[in-house]
Amino acid sequence: MSRAARTIRVDTLARVEGEGAMHINLVGERVADVKLRIYEPPRFFEAFLRGRHFSEVADITARICGICPIAYQMSAIHAIERALGLRIDPAVRLLRRLFYCGEWIESHALHVYMLHAPDFLGYQDAIAMAKDHPEVAHRALRLKKIGNRLVALMGGREIHPISAAVGGFYKVPRPEQLRTLVEDLKWALDASVETVKFTAGLEFPDFEQDYEFVALRHPDEYAFNEGRLVSNRGLDIDAAEYEDHFTELHVKHANALHSVVRGRGSYLVGPMARLSLNYDKLTPKAKQVASDVKLKPPVRNPFRSIIVRAVELVFACEEALRIIEQYEPPSQPRVEAPNRAGVGQAITEAPRGILYHRYAIDDKGLIVTAKIVPPTSQNQKRIEDDLREYAARLVAWPLDEATWKCEQAIRNYDPCISCATHFLKLTIERQSESGEGGAQK
Amino acid sequence: MKTRTIGCGNLQRMDDGAGVLVAQRLRELGIPAEIQTGGAFELIAGWDDDEHLILVDAVMTGAPAGTIHVWEGSPPRLPHAQHFSSHGFGLAEAFRLGQILNCLPKRITVFGIEGDQFGIGEQVSTEVAAASERVAQQIAREYAPEFQEEAVQFAD
Repeated sequence: MSRAARTIRVDTLARVEGEGAMHINLVGERVADVKLRIYEPPRFFEAFLRGRHFSEVADITARICGICPIAYQMSAIHAIERALGLRIDPAVRLLRRLFYCGEWIESHALHVYMLHAPDFLGYQDAIAMAKDHPEVAHRALRLKKIGNRLVALMGGREIHPISAAVGGFYKVPRPEQLRTLVEDLKWALDASVETVKFTAGLEFPDFEQDYEFVALRHPDEYAFNEGRLVSNRGLDIDAAEYEDHFTELHVKHANALHSVVRGRGSYLVGPMARLSLNYDKLTPKAKQVASDVKLKPPVRNPFRSIIVRAVELVFACEEALRIIEQYEPPSQPRVEAPNRAGVGQAITEAPRGILYHRYAIDDKGLIVTAKIVPPTSQNQKRIEDDLREYAARLVAWPLDEATWKCEQAIRNYDPCISCATHFLKLTIERQSESGEGGAQK
Repeated sequence: MKTRTIGCGNLQRMDDGAGVLVAQRLRELGIPAEIQTGGAFELIAGWDDDEHLILVDAVMTGAPAGTIHVWEGSPPRLPHAQHFSSHGFGLAEAFRLGQILNCLPKRITVFGIEGDQFGIGEQVSTEVAAASERVAQQIAREYAPEFQEEAVQFAD
Protein backbone atom coordinates (compact mmCIF):
# COMPACT_ATOMS: atom_id res chain seq x y z
CA MET A 1 0.00 0.00 0.00
CA SER A 2 0.97 3.58 -0.33
CA ARG A 3 3.26 4.95 2.35
CA ALA A 4 1.84 8.39 1.85
CA ALA A 5 0.53 10.17 4.88
CA ARG A 6 -3.18 10.52 5.27
CA THR A 7 -5.72 12.21 7.42
CA ILE A 8 -9.01 10.90 8.61
CA ARG A 9 -11.21 13.81 9.32
CA VAL A 10 -14.72 13.92 10.66
CA ASP A 11 -15.90 17.47 10.39
CA THR A 12 -19.10 16.78 12.21
CA LEU A 13 -19.31 13.66 14.23
CA ALA A 14 -23.02 13.16 14.38
CA ARG A 15 -24.88 11.24 17.04
CA VAL A 16 -22.63 12.48 19.80
CA GLU A 17 -24.03 15.01 22.23
CA GLY A 18 -22.17 18.29 21.87
CA GLU A 19 -19.40 19.55 19.60
CA GLY A 20 -15.71 18.76 19.17
CA ALA A 21 -13.13 17.03 16.98
CA MET A 22 -10.90 14.02 16.70
CA HIS A 23 -7.60 14.18 14.82
CA ILE A 24 -5.62 11.08 13.92
CA ASN A 25 -2.19 11.34 12.31
CA LEU A 26 -0.89 8.33 10.41
CA VAL A 27 2.74 8.20 9.33
CA GLY A 28 3.36 5.32 6.99
CA GLU A 29 1.64 2.42 8.67
CA ARG A 30 2.08 3.84 12.13
CA VAL A 31 -0.37 5.91 14.18
CA ALA A 32 1.75 8.90 15.14
CA ASP A 33 -0.80 10.91 17.05
CA VAL A 34 -4.38 10.90 18.28
CA LYS A 35 -5.97 14.00 19.69
CA LEU A 36 -9.49 14.44 20.95
CA ARG A 37 -10.00 18.19 20.60
CA ILE A 38 -12.69 20.14 22.32
CA TYR A 39 -14.02 23.30 20.69
CA GLU A 40 -16.36 24.97 23.06
CA PRO A 41 -14.90 26.73 26.03
CA PRO A 42 -15.16 24.84 29.29
CA ARG A 43 -18.34 25.15 31.19
CA PHE A 44 -18.13 27.71 33.88
CA PHE A 45 -20.61 26.09 36.15
CA GLU A 46 -18.06 25.61 38.89
CA ALA A 47 -17.60 29.38 38.94
CA PHE A 48 -21.37 30.12 38.59
CA LEU A 49 -21.97 28.15 41.75
CA ARG A 50 -19.70 30.16 44.01
CA GLY A 51 -21.69 32.39 46.31
CA ARG A 52 -24.99 30.61 45.61
CA HIS A 53 -26.92 28.95 48.40
CA PHE A 54 -26.60 25.16 48.52
CA SER A 55 -30.34 24.81 47.94
CA GLU A 56 -29.89 26.23 44.41
CA VAL A 57 -27.09 23.90 43.34
CA ALA A 58 -29.17 20.91 42.19
CA ASP A 59 -31.27 23.03 39.84
CA ILE A 60 -28.26 24.90 38.45
CA THR A 61 -26.12 21.81 37.80
CA ALA A 62 -29.09 20.03 36.19
CA ARG A 63 -28.69 22.56 33.36
CA ILE A 64 -25.23 21.25 32.47
CA CYS A 65 -26.78 18.41 30.50
CA GLY A 66 -30.20 17.93 28.90
CA ILE A 67 -29.64 14.17 28.75
CA CYS A 68 -28.50 13.41 32.29
CA PRO A 69 -29.80 16.18 34.58
CA ILE A 70 -30.74 13.69 37.30
CA ALA A 71 -27.16 12.50 37.60
CA TYR A 72 -26.07 16.11 38.20
CA GLN A 73 -28.80 16.60 40.74
CA MET A 74 -28.02 13.37 42.55
CA SER A 75 -24.25 13.93 42.80
CA ALA A 76 -24.79 17.53 43.91
CA ILE A 77 -27.40 16.66 46.52
CA HIS A 78 -25.45 13.75 47.97
CA ALA A 79 -22.27 15.82 48.21
CA ILE A 80 -24.10 18.67 49.96
CA GLU A 81 -25.88 16.29 52.31
CA ARG A 82 -22.49 14.86 53.29
CA ALA A 83 -21.16 18.36 53.87
CA LEU A 84 -24.14 19.12 56.11
CA GLY A 85 -24.11 15.72 57.83
CA LEU A 86 -27.74 14.96 56.87
CA ARG A 87 -29.28 11.51 57.17
CA ILE A 88 -31.88 10.54 54.60
CA ASP A 89 -35.07 8.52 55.01
CA PRO A 90 -34.68 5.03 53.41
CA ALA A 91 -37.85 5.66 51.38
CA VAL A 92 -36.25 8.80 49.92
CA ARG A 93 -33.18 6.77 49.04
CA LEU A 94 -35.38 4.28 47.15
CA LEU A 95 -37.13 7.10 45.32
CA ARG A 96 -33.77 8.44 44.22
CA ARG A 97 -32.92 5.04 42.79
CA LEU A 98 -36.26 5.05 40.97
CA PHE A 99 -35.55 8.52 39.61
CA TYR A 100 -32.19 7.31 38.30
CA CYS A 101 -33.87 4.29 36.64
CA GLY A 102 -35.90 6.73 34.54
CA GLU A 103 -32.81 8.58 33.40
CA TRP A 104 -30.97 5.37 32.49
CA ILE A 105 -34.00 4.14 30.48
CA GLU A 106 -34.22 7.43 28.56
CA SER A 107 -30.50 7.74 27.95
CA HIS A 108 -29.71 4.12 27.11
CA ALA A 109 -32.73 3.73 24.80
CA LEU A 110 -31.64 6.84 22.92
CA HIS A 111 -28.04 5.76 22.56
CA VAL A 112 -28.58 2.07 21.81
CA TYR A 113 -31.19 2.57 19.13
CA MET A 114 -30.93 6.05 17.70
CA LEU A 115 -27.24 6.87 18.02
CA HIS A 116 -25.30 3.61 18.00
CA ALA A 117 -27.39 0.96 16.19
CA PRO A 118 -27.25 2.83 12.83
CA ASP A 119 -23.46 2.26 12.83
CA PHE A 120 -23.83 -1.48 13.09
CA LEU A 121 -26.66 -1.66 10.56
CA GLY A 122 -24.85 0.51 8.02
CA TYR A 123 -27.02 3.64 8.11
CA GLN A 124 -25.94 7.24 8.15
CA ASP A 125 -28.33 8.07 10.97
CA ALA A 126 -31.49 7.05 12.80
CA ILE A 127 -33.71 8.69 10.19
CA ALA A 128 -32.25 6.55 7.41
CA MET A 129 -32.52 3.51 9.67
CA ALA A 130 -36.14 4.28 10.54
CA LYS A 131 -37.14 4.11 6.85
CA ASP A 132 -36.10 0.45 6.69
CA HIS A 133 -36.70 -0.51 10.30
CA PRO A 134 -39.65 1.56 11.56
CA GLU A 135 -40.40 -1.06 14.21
CA VAL A 136 -36.95 -0.50 15.73
CA ALA A 137 -37.49 3.27 15.84
CA HIS A 138 -40.97 2.85 17.33
CA ARG A 139 -39.59 0.57 20.06
CA ALA A 140 -36.83 3.06 20.80
CA LEU A 141 -39.21 6.00 21.05
CA ARG A 142 -41.69 4.12 23.23
CA LEU A 143 -38.89 3.05 25.59
CA LYS A 144 -37.66 6.60 25.74
CA LYS A 145 -41.16 7.89 26.33
CA ILE A 146 -41.60 5.51 29.28
CA GLY A 147 -38.30 6.75 30.74
CA ASN A 148 -39.58 10.30 30.21
CA ARG A 149 -42.84 9.50 32.03
CA LEU A 150 -40.98 8.12 35.01
CA VAL A 151 -38.67 11.13 35.14
CA ALA A 152 -41.58 13.55 34.74
CA LEU A 153 -43.57 11.90 37.51
CA MET A 154 -40.60 11.94 39.87
CA GLY A 155 -39.08 15.23 38.82
CA GLY A 156 -42.09 17.40 38.08
CA ARG A 157 -41.22 17.63 34.38
CA GLU A 158 -39.16 15.71 31.80
CA ILE A 159 -36.34 18.14 31.14
CA HIS A 160 -34.44 19.77 34.00
CA PRO A 161 -36.52 18.19 36.75
CA ILE A 162 -37.24 20.33 39.77
CA SER A 163 -38.42 18.11 42.60
CA ALA A 164 -35.11 16.79 43.95
CA ALA A 165 -33.81 18.71 46.94
CA VAL A 166 -31.12 18.62 49.58
CA GLY A 167 -32.69 16.47 52.31
CA GLY A 168 -35.14 14.62 50.04
CA PHE A 169 -37.73 15.82 47.53
CA TYR A 170 -39.90 18.94 47.50
CA LYS A 171 -42.76 16.62 46.62
CA VAL A 172 -42.96 12.83 46.47
CA PRO A 173 -45.39 10.77 44.37
CA ARG A 174 -48.31 8.90 45.84
CA PRO A 175 -48.18 5.07 45.46
CA GLU A 176 -51.16 5.13 43.10
CA GLN A 177 -49.36 7.62 40.86
CA LEU A 178 -46.37 5.32 40.57
CA ARG A 179 -48.61 2.35 39.90
CA THR A 180 -49.83 4.05 36.71
CA LEU A 181 -46.36 3.31 35.33
CA VAL A 182 -46.42 -0.44 35.96
CA GLU A 183 -47.98 -1.57 32.68
CA ASP A 184 -45.63 0.61 30.67
CA LEU A 185 -42.62 -0.61 32.63
CA LYS A 186 -43.62 -4.24 32.12
CA TRP A 187 -43.74 -3.56 28.39
CA ALA A 188 -40.38 -1.78 28.66
CA LEU A 189 -38.87 -4.74 30.47
CA ASP A 190 -39.92 -7.11 27.67
CA ALA A 191 -38.74 -4.61 25.05
CA SER A 192 -35.40 -4.32 26.84
CA VAL A 193 -34.94 -8.08 26.79
CA GLU A 194 -35.62 -7.92 23.04
CA THR A 195 -33.09 -5.10 22.85
CA VAL A 196 -30.41 -7.31 24.39
CA LYS A 197 -31.14 -10.04 21.84
CA PHE A 198 -31.15 -7.50 19.00
CA THR A 199 -27.82 -5.96 20.00
CA ALA A 200 -26.20 -9.34 20.66
CA GLY A 201 -27.00 -10.28 17.06
CA LEU A 202 -24.97 -7.39 15.62
CA GLU A 203 -21.48 -7.91 14.23
CA PHE A 204 -18.53 -6.75 16.30
CA PRO A 205 -14.91 -6.26 15.32
CA ASP A 206 -12.39 -8.35 17.24
CA PHE A 207 -10.95 -5.57 19.41
CA GLU A 208 -10.26 -6.07 23.11
CA GLN A 209 -8.43 -3.65 25.37
CA ASP A 210 -6.92 -4.02 28.82
CA TYR A 211 -8.96 -1.45 30.72
CA GLU A 212 -8.81 -0.25 34.27
CA PHE A 213 -12.55 -0.31 34.97
CA VAL A 214 -13.73 2.20 37.57
CA ALA A 215 -17.27 2.13 39.02
CA LEU A 216 -19.23 2.36 42.22
CA ARG A 217 -19.80 -0.92 44.04
CA HIS A 218 -22.45 -1.52 46.67
CA PRO A 219 -22.65 -4.70 48.77
CA ASP A 220 -26.36 -5.27 48.12
CA GLU A 221 -27.27 -3.72 44.78
CA TYR A 222 -26.16 -2.58 41.35
CA ALA A 223 -24.91 0.82 42.46
CA PHE A 224 -26.55 4.12 41.44
CA ASN A 225 -25.75 6.67 44.12
CA GLU A 226 -24.12 4.88 46.98
CA GLY A 227 -21.11 2.63 47.41
CA ARG A 228 -17.33 2.59 47.29
CA LEU A 229 -15.37 3.48 44.21
CA VAL A 230 -13.55 0.37 43.02
CA SER A 231 -11.48 -0.81 40.08
CA ASN A 232 -10.13 -4.09 38.76
CA ARG A 233 -6.63 -2.89 39.73
CA GLY A 234 -7.15 -2.70 43.46
CA LEU A 235 -8.78 0.71 43.90
CA ASP A 236 -11.29 0.65 46.77
CA ILE A 237 -11.99 4.13 48.15
CA ASP A 238 -14.65 6.44 49.54
CA ALA A 239 -15.78 9.38 47.40
CA ALA A 240 -13.95 11.68 49.83
CA GLU A 241 -10.65 10.11 48.69
CA TYR A 242 -11.33 10.59 44.94
CA GLU A 243 -8.93 13.48 44.47
CA ASP A 244 -6.16 11.58 46.26
CA HIS A 245 -6.31 8.88 43.59
CA PHE A 246 -7.39 10.74 40.43
CA THR A 247 -6.08 13.91 38.89
CA GLU A 248 -7.03 16.07 35.93
CA LEU A 249 -4.45 17.09 33.36
CA HIS A 250 -4.86 20.07 31.11
CA VAL A 251 -3.86 19.16 27.56
CA LYS A 252 -3.25 21.87 24.98
CA HIS A 253 -5.54 20.41 22.31
CA ALA A 254 -8.62 20.15 24.53
CA ASN A 255 -10.58 22.55 26.67
CA ALA A 256 -11.84 19.73 28.84
CA LEU A 257 -9.43 18.24 31.34
CA HIS A 258 -8.14 14.68 30.96
CA SER A 259 -8.59 12.54 34.07
CA VAL A 260 -6.06 9.87 34.99
CA VAL A 261 -5.52 7.49 37.88
CA ARG A 262 -2.47 8.85 39.67
CA GLY A 263 0.58 6.75 38.80
CA ARG A 264 -1.28 4.65 36.24
CA GLY A 265 -3.04 6.59 33.47
CA SER A 266 -6.32 6.33 31.61
CA TYR A 267 -9.29 4.39 32.90
CA LEU A 268 -12.78 3.49 31.78
CA VAL A 269 -16.07 4.49 33.40
CA GLY A 270 -19.61 3.69 32.28
CA PRO A 271 -21.66 0.61 31.42
CA MET A 272 -18.74 -1.74 30.60
CA ALA A 273 -16.94 -0.82 33.81
CA ARG A 274 -20.12 -1.16 35.88
CA LEU A 275 -21.10 -4.52 34.45
CA SER A 276 -17.57 -5.89 34.65
CA LEU A 277 -17.26 -4.94 38.32
CA ASN A 278 -20.87 -5.54 39.42
CA TYR A 279 -22.17 -8.40 37.29
CA ASP A 280 -23.08 -10.33 40.45
CA LYS A 281 -25.36 -7.46 41.54
CA LEU A 282 -27.52 -7.38 38.40
CA THR A 283 -31.22 -8.06 38.89
CA PRO A 284 -32.32 -11.65 38.05
CA LYS A 285 -33.73 -11.06 34.58
CA ALA A 286 -30.85 -8.81 33.57
CA LYS A 287 -28.37 -11.47 34.66
CA GLN A 288 -30.35 -14.19 32.90
CA VAL A 289 -30.57 -12.39 29.58
CA ALA A 290 -26.88 -11.44 29.75
CA SER A 291 -26.10 -15.11 30.27
CA ASP A 292 -28.45 -16.10 27.42
CA VAL A 293 -26.46 -13.97 24.99
CA LYS A 294 -23.15 -15.13 26.52
CA LEU A 295 -22.20 -11.71 27.84
CA LYS A 296 -19.81 -12.40 30.70
CA PRO A 297 -17.61 -10.08 32.69
CA PRO A 298 -15.19 -8.60 32.04
CA VAL A 299 -16.36 -7.08 28.76
CA ARG A 300 -13.24 -5.70 27.09
CA ASN A 301 -14.49 -5.07 23.55
CA PRO A 302 -15.83 -1.48 23.54
CA PHE A 303 -18.04 -2.17 20.50
CA ARG A 304 -19.96 -4.63 22.67
CA SER A 305 -20.88 -1.79 25.01
CA ILE A 306 -24.14 -1.57 23.05
CA ILE A 307 -25.13 -4.97 24.50
CA VAL A 308 -24.11 -3.89 27.99
CA ARG A 309 -26.33 -0.78 27.73
CA ALA A 310 -29.20 -3.02 26.68
CA VAL A 311 -28.60 -5.27 29.73
CA GLU A 312 -28.64 -2.15 31.92
CA LEU A 313 -31.97 -1.21 30.32
CA VAL A 314 -33.35 -4.54 31.53
CA PHE A 315 -31.89 -3.85 34.97
CA ALA A 316 -33.37 -0.34 35.15
CA CYS A 317 -36.87 -1.56 34.21
CA GLU A 318 -36.70 -4.46 36.65
CA GLU A 319 -35.42 -2.26 39.45
CA ALA A 320 -38.08 0.40 38.78
CA LEU A 321 -40.83 -2.23 38.99
CA ARG A 322 -39.37 -3.63 42.22
CA ILE A 323 -39.25 -0.19 43.85
CA ILE A 324 -42.77 0.76 42.75
CA GLU A 325 -44.12 -2.53 44.10
CA GLN A 326 -42.72 -1.97 47.61
CA TYR A 327 -43.07 1.81 47.70
CA GLU A 328 -44.44 3.50 50.78
CA PRO A 329 -44.08 7.28 50.92
CA PRO A 330 -41.51 8.62 53.39
CA SER A 331 -42.86 10.02 56.66
CA GLN A 332 -41.75 13.44 55.41
CA PRO A 333 -40.57 14.18 51.85
CA ARG A 334 -37.62 16.23 53.02
CA VAL A 335 -35.63 16.76 56.20
CA GLU A 336 -34.64 20.31 57.04
CA ALA A 337 -31.16 21.26 55.83
CA PRO A 338 -29.68 23.88 58.16
CA ASN A 339 -26.91 26.25 57.09
CA ARG A 340 -23.67 24.72 58.29
CA ALA A 341 -20.07 24.99 57.14
CA GLY A 342 -18.51 21.85 55.71
CA VAL A 343 -17.03 20.00 52.77
CA GLY A 344 -18.73 17.09 51.04
CA GLN A 345 -17.94 14.83 48.10
CA ALA A 346 -20.18 12.39 46.27
CA ILE A 347 -20.05 10.07 43.28
CA THR A 348 -23.09 8.68 41.49
CA GLU A 349 -23.44 6.58 38.36
CA ALA A 350 -24.65 8.74 35.48
CA PRO A 351 -25.68 6.73 32.40
CA ARG A 352 -22.19 7.34 30.95
CA GLY A 353 -20.26 6.61 34.16
CA ILE A 354 -19.23 8.09 37.46
CA LEU A 355 -19.93 11.76 38.12
CA TYR A 356 -17.90 13.36 40.94
CA HIS A 357 -18.98 16.52 42.79
CA ARG A 358 -17.27 18.29 45.69
CA TYR A 359 -18.60 21.37 47.50
CA ALA A 360 -17.22 23.53 50.28
CA ILE A 361 -19.99 25.44 52.06
CA ASP A 362 -19.69 28.32 54.54
CA ASP A 363 -21.74 28.86 57.71
CA LYS A 364 -24.36 30.86 55.76
CA GLY A 365 -24.92 27.89 53.44
CA LEU A 366 -23.18 29.58 50.51
CA ILE A 367 -20.93 27.65 48.13
CA VAL A 368 -17.27 28.56 48.57
CA THR A 369 -15.82 26.15 46.00
CA ALA A 370 -17.30 23.58 43.65
CA LYS A 371 -15.65 20.86 41.63
CA ILE A 372 -17.42 18.74 39.00
CA VAL A 373 -15.79 15.88 37.07
CA PRO A 374 -18.20 14.45 34.46
CA PRO A 375 -17.91 10.92 33.08
CA THR A 376 -17.00 11.92 29.54
CA SER A 377 -13.97 13.92 30.66
CA GLN A 378 -12.88 10.86 32.63
CA ASN A 379 -13.18 8.69 29.52
CA GLN A 380 -11.51 11.15 27.13
CA LYS A 381 -7.99 9.90 27.54
CA ARG A 382 -9.25 6.34 27.25
CA ILE A 383 -11.03 7.25 23.98
CA GLU A 384 -7.70 8.53 22.62
CA ASP A 385 -5.90 5.38 23.78
CA ASP A 386 -8.49 3.15 22.08
CA LEU A 387 -8.37 5.16 18.87
CA ARG A 388 -4.58 4.89 18.82
CA GLU A 389 -4.92 1.10 18.85
CA TYR A 390 -7.93 0.92 16.57
CA ALA A 391 -6.69 3.32 13.90
CA ALA A 392 -3.52 1.21 13.56
CA ARG A 393 -5.73 -1.56 12.20
CA LEU A 394 -7.31 0.74 9.64
CA VAL A 395 -4.23 2.18 7.92
CA ALA A 396 -4.83 0.08 4.80
CA TRP A 397 -8.54 0.92 4.62
CA PRO A 398 -10.02 3.45 2.20
CA LEU A 399 -10.18 6.78 3.97
CA ASP A 400 -13.96 7.11 4.09
CA GLU A 401 -14.40 3.64 5.53
CA ALA A 402 -11.63 4.18 8.10
CA THR A 403 -13.28 7.45 9.09
CA TRP A 404 -16.64 5.78 9.50
CA LYS A 405 -15.09 3.06 11.67
CA CYS A 406 -13.36 5.61 13.89
CA GLU A 407 -16.59 7.55 14.36
CA GLN A 408 -18.30 4.34 15.41
CA ALA A 409 -15.45 3.61 17.83
CA ILE A 410 -15.93 7.02 19.46
CA ARG A 411 -19.65 6.43 19.82
CA ASN A 412 -18.87 3.28 21.82
CA TYR A 413 -18.47 5.63 24.76
CA ASP A 414 -21.71 7.55 24.18
CA PRO A 415 -19.60 10.66 24.76
CA CYS A 416 -21.67 13.45 26.13
CA ILE A 417 -19.47 16.29 25.09
CA SER A 418 -22.05 18.78 26.31
CA CYS A 419 -21.04 17.69 29.78
CA ALA A 420 -17.33 17.36 29.25
CA THR A 421 -17.65 20.58 27.38
CA HIS A 422 -18.59 19.92 23.64
CA PHE A 423 -18.27 17.82 19.85
CA LEU A 424 -17.03 16.57 17.00
CA LYS A 425 -14.81 16.61 13.96
CA LEU A 426 -12.62 13.64 13.14
CA THR A 427 -9.45 14.05 11.09
CA ILE A 428 -7.08 11.29 10.06
CA GLU A 429 -3.88 12.71 8.61
CA ARG A 430 -1.52 10.57 6.57
CA GLN A 431 2.16 11.34 6.05
CA SER A 432 5.03 9.38 4.51
CA GLU A 433 7.88 8.35 6.77
CA SER A 434 9.92 11.11 5.07
CA GLY A 435 7.37 13.64 6.21
CA GLU A 436 5.67 14.19 2.83
CA GLY A 437 1.99 14.21 2.31
CA GLY A 438 -0.68 16.06 4.13
CA ALA A 439 -4.15 16.12 5.39
CA GLN A 440 -6.79 14.37 3.40
CA LYS A 441 -10.41 15.05 3.99
CA MET B 1 -57.93 18.53 19.32
CA LYS B 2 -55.84 19.96 22.13
CA THR B 3 -53.20 22.61 21.68
CA ARG B 4 -49.77 22.34 23.25
CA THR B 5 -46.90 24.81 23.25
CA ILE B 6 -43.26 23.86 23.66
CA GLY B 7 -40.46 26.40 23.99
CA CYS B 8 -37.13 24.88 22.91
CA GLY B 9 -33.64 25.97 23.82
CA ASN B 10 -31.12 26.58 26.55
CA LEU B 11 -31.00 29.72 28.67
CA GLN B 12 -27.28 29.18 29.27
CA ARG B 13 -26.58 29.54 25.51
CA MET B 14 -27.53 33.20 25.05
CA ASP B 15 -30.07 33.68 22.21
CA ASP B 16 -30.70 29.94 22.11
CA GLY B 17 -32.90 30.64 25.13
CA ALA B 18 -35.52 32.47 23.01
CA GLY B 19 -37.98 29.57 23.00
CA VAL B 20 -37.60 29.13 26.75
CA LEU B 21 -38.26 32.85 27.31
CA VAL B 22 -41.48 32.58 25.33
CA ALA B 23 -42.61 29.55 27.37
CA GLN B 24 -41.82 31.33 30.63
CA ARG B 25 -43.71 34.44 29.50
CA LEU B 26 -46.72 32.36 28.48
CA ARG B 27 -46.79 30.79 31.93
CA GLU B 28 -46.77 34.27 33.45
CA LEU B 29 -49.76 35.04 31.24
CA GLY B 30 -51.52 31.96 32.62
CA ILE B 31 -51.07 29.86 29.50
CA PRO B 32 -49.56 26.39 29.80
CA ALA B 33 -46.25 25.90 28.04
CA GLU B 34 -43.56 23.23 28.23
CA ILE B 35 -39.83 23.70 28.01
CA GLN B 36 -37.55 21.29 26.18
CA THR B 37 -34.00 21.31 24.88
CA GLY B 38 -35.14 20.95 21.25
CA GLY B 39 -33.48 17.58 20.70
CA ALA B 40 -35.40 15.60 18.06
CA PHE B 41 -35.91 12.49 20.13
CA GLU B 42 -37.16 14.34 23.19
CA LEU B 43 -39.63 16.17 20.99
CA ILE B 44 -40.94 13.24 19.04
CA ALA B 45 -41.25 10.98 22.08
CA GLY B 46 -43.84 13.41 23.45
CA TRP B 47 -45.94 13.96 20.33
CA ASP B 48 -49.56 13.12 20.04
CA ASP B 49 -51.02 12.86 16.53
CA ASP B 50 -54.28 14.44 17.63
CA GLU B 51 -52.97 17.81 18.67
CA HIS B 52 -52.01 21.25 17.50
CA LEU B 53 -48.37 21.60 18.40
CA ILE B 54 -46.87 25.08 18.70
CA LEU B 55 -43.08 25.03 18.79
CA VAL B 56 -40.90 28.04 19.49
CA ASP B 57 -37.16 27.88 18.87
CA ALA B 58 -34.20 30.08 18.05
CA VAL B 59 -33.04 29.89 14.43
CA MET B 60 -30.30 31.34 12.29
CA THR B 61 -31.29 31.93 8.68
CA GLY B 62 -29.29 35.08 8.01
CA ALA B 63 -32.18 37.47 8.73
CA PRO B 64 -31.67 40.34 11.21
CA ALA B 65 -31.66 39.33 14.88
CA GLY B 66 -35.14 39.32 16.36
CA THR B 67 -36.89 38.53 13.06
CA ILE B 68 -39.90 36.31 13.71
CA HIS B 69 -40.54 33.48 11.25
CA VAL B 70 -43.71 31.42 11.22
CA TRP B 71 -44.00 28.07 9.47
CA GLU B 72 -47.20 26.00 9.38
CA GLY B 73 -48.01 22.50 8.17
CA SER B 74 -47.68 18.88 9.08
CA PRO B 75 -44.78 18.85 8.61
CA PRO B 76 -43.99 22.53 8.19
CA ARG B 77 -41.48 23.28 5.46
CA LEU B 78 -38.54 24.74 7.28
CA PRO B 79 -35.81 26.52 5.36
CA HIS B 80 -32.24 25.32 5.77
CA ALA B 81 -31.92 27.11 9.05
CA GLN B 82 -29.27 26.19 11.53
CA HIS B 83 -30.57 25.32 14.92
CA PHE B 84 -27.99 25.85 17.59
CA SER B 85 -28.69 22.98 19.87
CA SER B 86 -25.66 21.15 21.21
CA HIS B 87 -27.54 18.05 20.08
CA GLY B 88 -27.08 16.75 16.55
CA PHE B 89 -30.78 16.46 15.82
CA GLY B 90 -33.16 19.36 15.99
CA LEU B 91 -36.62 20.34 14.78
CA ALA B 92 -36.09 19.54 11.10
CA GLU B 93 -34.90 16.04 11.93
CA ALA B 94 -37.80 15.53 14.33
CA PHE B 95 -40.24 16.36 11.52
CA ARG B 96 -38.48 14.01 9.09
CA LEU B 97 -38.52 11.18 11.58
CA GLY B 98 -42.13 11.93 12.52
CA GLN B 99 -43.10 11.68 8.86
CA ILE B 100 -41.32 8.33 8.42
CA LEU B 101 -42.92 6.93 11.55
CA ASN B 102 -46.28 8.45 10.73
CA CYS B 103 -46.63 10.14 14.09
CA LEU B 104 -46.71 13.85 13.27
CA PRO B 105 -49.25 15.99 15.11
CA LYS B 106 -52.20 16.97 12.92
CA ARG B 107 -51.28 20.59 12.97
CA ILE B 108 -47.88 22.16 13.65
CA THR B 109 -46.99 25.83 13.97
CA VAL B 110 -43.33 26.75 14.34
CA PHE B 111 -42.24 30.18 15.53
CA GLY B 112 -38.56 30.71 14.73
CA ILE B 113 -36.86 33.65 16.42
CA GLU B 114 -33.73 34.76 14.63
CA GLY B 115 -30.81 34.68 17.05
CA ASP B 116 -27.48 36.41 16.91
CA GLN B 117 -25.24 35.14 19.73
CA PHE B 118 -25.08 31.49 20.75
CA GLY B 119 -22.08 31.41 23.06
CA ILE B 120 -22.11 30.39 26.69
CA GLY B 121 -23.87 32.85 28.95
CA GLU B 122 -27.27 34.03 30.07
CA GLN B 123 -27.35 37.33 28.18
CA VAL B 124 -29.99 37.50 25.44
CA SER B 125 -29.80 40.06 22.61
CA THR B 126 -32.17 43.00 23.05
CA GLU B 127 -33.81 42.20 19.70
CA VAL B 128 -34.33 38.55 20.66
CA ALA B 129 -35.79 39.45 24.06
CA ALA B 130 -38.23 41.85 22.36
CA ALA B 131 -39.15 39.27 19.72
CA SER B 132 -39.75 36.66 22.44
CA GLU B 133 -42.24 39.01 24.10
CA ARG B 134 -44.03 39.61 20.77
CA VAL B 135 -44.26 35.87 20.05
CA ALA B 136 -45.63 35.15 23.54
CA GLN B 137 -48.27 37.87 23.08
CA GLN B 138 -49.16 36.56 19.62
CA ILE B 139 -49.59 32.97 20.88
CA ALA B 140 -51.64 34.20 23.82
CA ARG B 141 -53.84 36.32 21.55
CA GLU B 142 -54.35 33.90 18.67
CA TYR B 143 -54.42 30.53 20.35
CA ALA B 144 -55.54 31.05 23.95
CA PRO B 145 -59.06 29.70 23.35
CA GLU B 146 -57.56 26.44 22.15
CA PHE B 147 -55.67 25.67 25.32
CA GLN B 148 -57.18 23.17 27.67
CA GLU B 149 -56.41 22.89 31.31
CA GLU B 150 -55.41 19.20 31.12
CA ALA B 151 -52.57 20.17 28.80
CA VAL B 152 -50.73 21.45 31.84
CA GLN B 153 -48.86 18.37 32.85
CA PHE B 154 -45.56 19.47 34.23
CA ALA B 155 -45.87 23.18 34.79
CA ASP B 156 -43.79 24.60 37.62
